[in-house]
Amino acid sequence: MNTDCWLLVTADGWGGAFRIARALPGRLTAVVIGPRLLAEQVAAAGPDEVRWTDPGPVPAEAWGAALAGAAADAQPGVVLSTTDPAARVLLGAVAGRMHARLVPAAVALAVEDDRLLVRRAAVGGETIETLRCTGPVAVTYGGDDVAAASGAAAPVTPVELAAAPLAVIASEPLAVASGLEDADRVVSFGRGVRARDDVSLVQGLAAALGAELACSMPIADDLGWLDKSRYVGRSGNQISPALYLAVGIGGAPQHMEGVRGARVVAAVNNDPEARIFRTADYGIVGDLYDVVPELTKAVRNLPSKELEQ
Amino acid sequence: MRVVVVYKWARNPTDALVRSDGSIDWRNARMTAGEDDPAALAAAFAIAAGSDGEVLGLTIGDGDASWALARGVERAWSVADAPSLVDNAATAAILAAAVRHLGEVDVVVIGDSRQDAGVPVALAGELGWPALVGLTSATTVDGRLQAARKVGGAAQTVLLPTPAVVGIAAEADVDRAPGMKELLAARKRPLTRLSLAELGVAPDDPESLGCAKPDSTPARVFAGEPAETAAQLVAALRSEGVL
Ligand SMILES: Cc1cc2nc3c(=O)[nH]c(=O)nc-3n(C[C@H](O)[C@H](O)[C@H](O)COP(=O)(O)OP(=O)(O)OC[C@H]3O[C@@H](n4cnc5c(N)ncnc54)[C@H](O)[C@@H]3O)c2cc1C
Ligand SMILES: Nc1ncnc2c1ncn2[C@@H]1O[C@H](COP(=O)(O)O)[C@@H](O)[C@H]1O
Repeated sequence: MNTDCWLLVTADGWGGAFRIARALPGRLTAVVIGPRLLAEQVAAAGPDEVRWTDPGPVPAEAWGAALAGAAADAQPGVVLSTTDPAARVLLGAVAGRMHARLVPAAVALAVEDDRLLVRRAAVGGETIETLRCTGPVAVTYGGDDVAAASGAAAPVTPVELAAAPLAVIASEPLAVASGLEDADRVVSFGRGVRARDDVSLVQGLAAALGAELACSMPIADDLGWLDKSRYVGRSGNQISPALYLAVGIGGAPQHMEGVRGARVVAAVNNDPEARIFRTADYGIVGDLYDVVPELTKAVRNLPSKELEQ
Repeated sequence: MRVVVVYKWARNPTDALVRSDGSIDWRNARMTAGEDDPAALAAAFAIAAGSDGEVLGLTIGDGDASWALARGVERAWSVADAPSLVDNAATAAILAAAVRHLGEVDVVVIGDSRQDAGVPVALAGELGWPALVGLTSATTVDGRLQAARKVGGAAQTVLLPTPAVVGIAAEADVDRAPGMKELLAARKRPLTRLSLAELGVAPDDPESLGCAKPDSTPARVFAGEPAETAAQLVAALRSEGVL
């Protein structure tokens, strides 16, 4: 089995993908289409080589066809990307050209009896399936991101490739930061809160915890009880606080995508079957109208220095 | 432009339950469209409208293919005997063969799936077309294809050559349930069934060695008197070092 691997990188967040690629016995080539700094960071993690193309202002996706051609010549046995949109487009281009299989959400790779074993997450990570593959395989990495390893720095070789005519014709900064990005603690509420006036209840808990206040999408989008810059999830904020406390939030996958980076997730929900208990670390089954005042009290009773950030 | 919108009507993966041995229980999973499909459909209409074009519907599998017909698509094709596959490239190969079967096509619009993040990109790779995915919308301006996306704190507009594949990631549920009139109109609209044999594809999957639960610890859930559970949670959070 050819386990020479190409890792396609177009943006940060490649540490986890790098780790599973490096676990293979073959030669690891990092193909970076992005700024020089990114290429150097990847090189410092210790692949065998880095091939670097500077896209300038052009979207990295423009190099799909050219990379596919290069891969068809080099014939890596495994091609890997993150789920980053641009890296995925490059992966698809290479996979299509090489007639490779494409397995999404891989969390580990191994070689056994000269076959590639791919473990992939299914049902939002609640189960892991093991697949045995032959021939070239492309995978997207679906595990947690990890900090980049540091290894023997690899040489960075600039590569000139032809680009398709894609162009960014306008770019506008998105709304200003909400303060959620670097909050250490976030208390967030959802439709379990029945009336606008009751928001103060959750606000009180957030204040006691020294936490930022956030919400689920319907609270901001449909009800307008908090500003749209304050909802968490796939289409809202993606945050990584030490503590995310979800109050009256169901735990829809689109919401939970926003707190994948949180260290501890706790939830208050009156439905013991609520989906959020499948992914939370801690939970209280109970009516938030009873539980939140008690939580606020319990937190207030903590020695004050404990809550310094 | 001649636009193909790819959609699916399948069991909703968020309804699937995982048994203790890691196997998947699909029994309670309702049939739904892909969650990005309404947004993909809206983009397909926007692209066609900006260019006096038409939108053709394409779906695979034995689900109800009338979803798009009831939402304004005039004609649809369905590869009814396509199996559900783990290999996204195999799924994409079926879709690519069907797109080729439809003749001259300028743009394929598809939902940018989270579950099957490789389908849209492998489809582009199989067709050999440029692609962008993770888009919020797309349209045609002065006969040229444009797409919008959010990248690193900025809202970008990108110009693409055609033919191209565009993958739309919905930001919210934008589906509009069709009314009775539209449902009736859908029944009269032509739906062409294609087969794998007709398309000349024979998809297969890698061998599965089975499923297992990941070794993550389940949630510690407190139930009982509010004051007591509150104290238990606060103690737990303190021992985690987050309080
Ligand atoms: C394409 C798309 C993108 C989306 N993006 C996002 C996103 O970025 N962010 C996001 O949040 N959502 C997003 N959504 C919506 C998401 O699917 C859910 O609909 C939403 O997150 C639900 O919000 P919720 O948890 O507040 O409400 P619900 O799902 O209604 O949950 C309310 C919860 O409160 C509990 N509850 C009720 N009363 C009480 C009580 N008295 N005490 C305690 N608990 C109580 C209930 O048991 C329930 O679990 C998206 C949807 C789509 C289709
Ligand atoms: N059987 C299939 N498996 C995977 N994707 C499909 C399938 N049929 C169609 N697709 C397309 O891939 C996308 C997956 O959507 P989602 O429901 O968001 O995971 C859909 O937008 C469809 O257009």
